[in-house]
Amino acid sequence: MVDRRDREVTGSDKVVYTTHSSHCGGGCLLKVHVKDGVVTRIETDDGEEPQYRACLRGRAFRQRMYAPDRILHPMRRVGERGEGRFERISWDEALGIVASEMKRVKEAYGPEAILYKWSGGDTSVLNSATCHYRLLNMFGGCSEVWGTFSFDGGLFAELATYGTVDTGNTRDDLLNSRLIIMWGWDPANTIQQTNTTWYLAQAREAGARVVSIDPRYTDTTATFADEWIPIIPGTDAAMLVAMAHVIISANLQDQRFLDAYTVGFERFKDYVLGKEDGVARTPAWAEAITGVPAASIERLARDYATTKPAALMAGIAPGRTAYGEQYHRAAMTLAAMTGNVGVHGGSSGGRSWAVAGPIAYYSLGRGMRAGRNPVEHTAPPRKNLIPSFGVAMRRGRVNVAKMSDAILRGKAGGYPADYKLLYLVDTNYPNQYLNVNKAVQALRKLEFVVMFEQFMTAGARFADVLLPTCTSLEKNDMALDGATGFYGYMNKAVEPVGESRCHLDICMALAEKLGIPDYNDKTDDEWLREIVAGSNDIADYDTFKRDGIHKIRLPEPYVAFKKEVEDPQSNPFPTPSGKIEIFSQRLAEMNDPTIPPIPKYIETWESRNDPLAQKYPLQLVTTHFKRRAHSQYDNLPWLRELQPQAVSISTADAQSRDIKDGDMVRVFNDRGEMIIPARVTERLMPGVVDIPQGAWYDPDERGVDRGGCCNILTRDEHSPGGAYCSNTTLVQVEKA
Amino acid sequence: MQLAFYFDQTRCTGCYTCVVACKDWHDVPAGPASWMRVSTIEKGRYPKPFVAFLVTPCYHCQEPACVPACPVGAITKRAKDGIVIVDREACLGKDSCQLCLEACPYGAPQFGAEENATMQKCDFCLERWEEGKLPICVAGCPMRALDAGPVSEMEARYGQVRRAVGFTYDEKLRPSVVFKPKPEPAAVQR
Repeated sequence: MVDRRDREVTGSDKVVYTTHSSHCGGGCLLKVHVKDGVVTRIETDDGEEPQYRACLRGRAFRQRMYAPDRILHPMRRVGERGEGRFERISWDEALGIVASEMKRVKEAYGPEAILYKWSGGDTSVLNSATCHYRLLNMFGGCSEVWGTFSFDGGLFAELATYGTVDTGNTRDDLLNSRLIIMWGWDPANTIQQTNTTWYLAQAREAGARVVSIDPRYTDTTATFADEWIPIIPGTDAAMLVAMAHVIISANLQDQRFLDAYTVGFERFKDYVLGKEDGVARTPAWAEAITGVPAASIERLARDYATTKPAALMAGIAPGRTAYGEQYHRAAMTLAAMTGNVGVHGGSSGGRSWAVAGPIAYYSLGRGMRAGRNPVEHTAPPRKNLIPSFGVAMRRGRVNVAKMSDAILRGKAGGYPADYKLLYLVDTNYPNQYLNVNKAVQALRKLEFVVMFEQFMTAGARFADVLLPTCTSLEKNDMALDGATGFYGYMNKAVEPVGESRCHLDICMALAEKLGIPDYNDKTDDEWLREIVAGSNDIADYDTFKRDGIHKIRLPEPYVAFKKEVEDPQSNPFPTPSGKIEIFSQRLAEMNDPTIPPIPKYIETWESRNDPLAQKYPLQLVTTHFKRRAHSQYDNLPWLRELQPQAVSISTADAQSRDIKDGDMVRVFNDRGEMIIPARVTERLMPGVVDIPQGAWYDPDERGVDRGGCCNILTRDEHSPGGAYCSNTTLVQVEKA
Repeated sequence: MQLAFYFDQTRCTGCYTCVVACKDWHDVPAGPASWMRVSTIEKGRYPKPFVAFLVTPCYHCQEPACVPACPVGAITKRAKDGIVIVDREACLGKDSCQLCLEACPYGAPQFGAEENATMQKCDFCLERWEEGKLPICVAGCPMRALDAGPVSEMEARYGQVRRAVGFTYDEKLRPSVVFKPKPEPAAVQR
């Protein structure tokens, strides 16, 4: 450490510049004070602009490290699975059990009986799930699932329309926008890159008009929006299609852009105007579906078509619905119709959380290779796959939404394998998976469950063997969480807490037990130096390590498809036609009316018109909370006291149920039930309730959740293009 | 010299980073004591609600009500920078007193959950000023909605507005703060 920093604050032995990796949308600079080997205080970036200032979660990291429910040593289950009773065992014994179970299951059932699942609990470059994936691949392979919880509908739509998922601009380009349309987009809660709200504030102060379309009056809406347009969940595509109707009827589309850069606009136009089936998608048509007054649709459409440039920020929550692909496809089509693609201040209409060129594709050496998975690599490609650059998108034949169903029904249910051993890394199964009660049944059916975890989470209670991993401040590593505009170096601030260990260290020990001799021959330091040596951006490893951060500096804001628009001859879009595909031949060939070749509004299951709505009349949305990153940080007292877990319900719906603010209520449907406090609010559309996702499942003796885990209610279904449907759920609420 | 806060209410998203940064820096456990608080002010009816956020540290009033209210003289105002500090050794504790809290219109005096907890509150990060650093809440605000410095400097930089949604300026106590308040639409219904 540099002397200057050691002396910065009297009382600390040293101040370590570092970061963390918790899939929070940021991963900012932390300046960690250490005294006598213990973290005592945390500061954040006060250096050169742009500063990457940590939010409340980064600032609470000290409580994360020293949380009372931190898993401090390996443990073996002693009670029934899920009961949460464990006994302490040694690392040697724990790894011995895991290795012998892996060998037994592989010999008895084949490697496909091992189901491997990881999530973003630790997104470090070196010590992350890749270590386990390499190990499993060398062991003979494993079954996997495909799909993300976050935005698979968006990925599918981007690949169909643009041929790439690289559809985003850097956030500083918002300063060039005159109109910003926040569609289901709440970065005050979701972060989605450090400084996104800071750029929004500056854009508004520079005169941009901001409109929010959202069933909730979010904190982002409250702070930035000039106008709030509440909309019925699952109907976003209908409003976008009606906006297209307004634009076409008034001949306000950018026809020059459409002619030069797109294919299929005429087909879309026929659908919109009703030439295809006699139904004109007018604002009045959409009002009946979306609950948005026709006049509001008309006005926004005209504003969007005539205010240039305008950025349609298509949040990913509306895409987490049945047929969410259509919402994303329609948003991209409108961006093309208004000529906002590839220009500063515009937006491609791709996911608000899309990758943005040079700040997403970090320039680094390759690092540890996971290798090929013999089980999934030889399997035939899954249905409705759009070829893309990413191996990750090809992995697995079962969608993550069907993981529990696949475990329960196996080959007899049409799935590729009978699953016996579940290998979970940094993921909170069943908590964060659709239909928790089904996931619990699936967990009970398995022969063996091993989990790599930091805390005694809702999921950890279901493990047979629990192996404790260390947090970001206890290891040397790198964090590249979510294309935030910088490279983060994790400097080990203190020794791992308890007997916790890093993933690579654990995997090396497990490889030895499994008899895999050539798993790894490098130290962490050798790996990190090699990875950084392959970077075109980072000149010097030691400077990077000392500073804890390397800020990416671009000559101007990055705009997706700028070169395709400025010089289309040399730069065709990476689609089969070389154009933006409003009509997609690839989708047409899928021959599935729920993935039409042009964007269409398709009514979701469990909509307000579903007969089920008689019984369960309220639409549930599962949103982000400031104090959590998914289910992470839910256990920290400094954060818990700020926002109590509650179900938000509109005043109108509360009054008709005699529910007052703070009352305990039952939220239920045929899949599950929870008891939770009600928050009665004017900030929510009637007919909608909101349970922030990520609270830890805590069933009572009747199986009623007392923890507020939204997934006790969600349906384990996915959309045909992969959209995860966590916002397509009907429930009822009544006083408990 | 009098130190003062500046708060831009139009930027604040109510993220609570200042609250947690303060608890971490000053090692205040979870519980009722919080030197910095963020409140959410909600008005209006669906579909036209109005929401504003307000931060409340100690405003280090020019004529602090807590100082004369304290029966044992545990609260003092520093001459050199106007920071109002408390001597927790001298404080009588919440079970027998709390006169400071009754006197303060902003709820700045804080008490922990422990038995007969003594008063604690925002000390404007006085040890950070001595090292040339801004208070931890100001330095950490992701929205750059906070600033701090001599009151004359804050007024020169940001003006002399002393109203904000949810805040009432007490003419007698003269809290050391200037605002950029969030505009309230005239038609907001209660």
